[in-house]
Amino acid sequence: MGVRLLVLVVLSVALMVVDARFALLKPVRSQMSLVLMQTYWITDLPQRLFQGVASQFGSRTELVAENEKLKTENLLLQGRMQKLAALTEQNVRLRELLNSSALVNEKVEVAELIGMDPNPFTHRIIINKGERDGVVLGQPVLDARGLMGQVVELMPYTSRVLLLTDTTHSIPVQVNRNGLRAIASGTGNPERLELRHVADTADIKEGDLLVSSGLGQRFPAGYPVATVKEVIHDSGQPFAIVRAVPTAALNRSRYLLLVFSDNRTPEERANDAAQAQEAEDKRNGIAPIVPATVPKPAFVGPPAPAAAPAAPVATPVKPAAHNARPAKPAATKPPAATPAAKPPAAAATTTRQREE
Amino acid sequence: MAGTHSRNGWIVWLTFAIGLLLSVSPLPQFMEILRPLWLALLLAFWALNLPHKVGMVTAMFLGLAEDVLYGTLLGQNALILTLITFLVLSLQQRLRMFPMWQQCLVILVIFGLAQLVQLWLSALTGNRQPTLALVLPALVSALLWPWVSFGLRGLRRRYKIN
Repeated sequence: MGVRLLVLVVLSVALMVVDARFALLKPVRSQMSLVLMQTYWITDLPQRLFQGVASQFGSRTELVAENEKLKTENLLLQGRMQKLAALTEQNVRLRELLNSSALVNEKVEVAELIGMDPNPFTHRIIINKGERDGVVLGQPVLDARGLMGQVVELMPYTSRVLLLTDTTHSIPVQVNRNGLRAIASGTGNPERLELRHVADTADIKEGDLLVSSGLGQRFPAGYPVATVKEVIHDSGQPFAIVRAVPTAALNRSRYLLLVFSDNRTPEERANDAAQAQEAEDKRNGIAPIVPATVPKPAFVGPPAPAAAPAAPVATPVKPAAHNARPAKPAATKPPAATPAAKPPAAAATTTRQREE
Repeated sequence: MAGTHSRNGWIVWLTFAIGLLLSVSPLPQFMEILRPLWLALLLAFWALNLPHKVGMVTAMFLGLAEDVLYGTLLGQNALILTLITFLVLSLQQRLRMFPMWQQCLVILVIFGLAQLVQLWLSALTGNRQPTLALVLPALVSALLWPWVSFGLRGLRRRYKIN
């Protein structure tokens, strides 16, 4: 028995070392997870069933009220989208005048939470999109209100997301008001982030919105991360103590957004955005407003000579990447509007435009 | 054990499957920290009662399954469960004679040790838990031991698993 123990212990230790150091065991793990990850799905079943039943028996008045609410919300969002197309165009033009770097634009896909990590000391969640859905390691995850975290482990049809508040997680942020940069670290408390090494005299105060700065090359810039809750100036401490509350509902959100950044040129993006908006309006029977299309690159050429050579280089790359994505100008549906009972795979692919 | 024909072995596996489900089932926040070590409890029971069937190799495979579920290093929980099963097996003769409360105490010690190894391993991999609250699951498991034990014994009698 002792020999057997020795063999098994040595085997497990070897496995751990190999798993920690090399990528050798990743395929094994992903094959095992194909079967095993169903357990998360099964444990999630009661809640799913409950939601299904609840939506079956939801009273008519409730549904009508909810419908009304969603309609108003949709109207508001669409109004904002109209403005966005124009703003995107304006932003592109201004950036071209300044010869500044390209915009980063993101495609967003809806994923659903299927499980929490059972270990209470880590803040990780399991989502129902994996490698086969095009998720990549390190991919940012949002909810409707802000950044939630990043993908840390990929499995074929599921992935594990490390939340912002995990003690091992930090994210570079910026104060939205004045652009002050800082690093927000998780504390292990789902309602608190801490800003590290902020000078005592730094211009930061209660209520400031912190947005991702994009400096870590991992998170896209400009997404809300947290709001500053308290700033403590303690003369005994070398730095100010700044505590912030994540804007995302880290422990409540069930529908999440996965951000796919893409590499089209700014003009194409702005045009696509405008066209998508136009198509959407046409589909909804709204009288088309003046189509907000950015002038073709040839037209833009003269003021920005540096941009001219860049454009042809970028164009051949684009069609392949473009075609690879299914249903580009898909229905822009807010994720909350997806009925809870609907199977997660049916969640609509939303496109969303954003600039750096 | 070539001569004895084992019967209803699938029930043992069914209990392990349920154990895996329980070990990831969602719990309220304050109870997460108290989640019993279901797989270890089941392994301890079956190793005590069917040592020819459930042993360290079974423990190892279940541990690997748990590793995949928890996203820990492949082999971490395998090591822990193997150790638990080894300790239970080596105490088997005595443990079966003990009254229930004494069994509970032994289980508490074994699981507590296992959790300490767990703490040590996760410290090595860089996710050190901030407190010793990690030992709480061992306590909860020890308190659950009588119920698990009675329940599974009933199951075993009923289906004549051997």
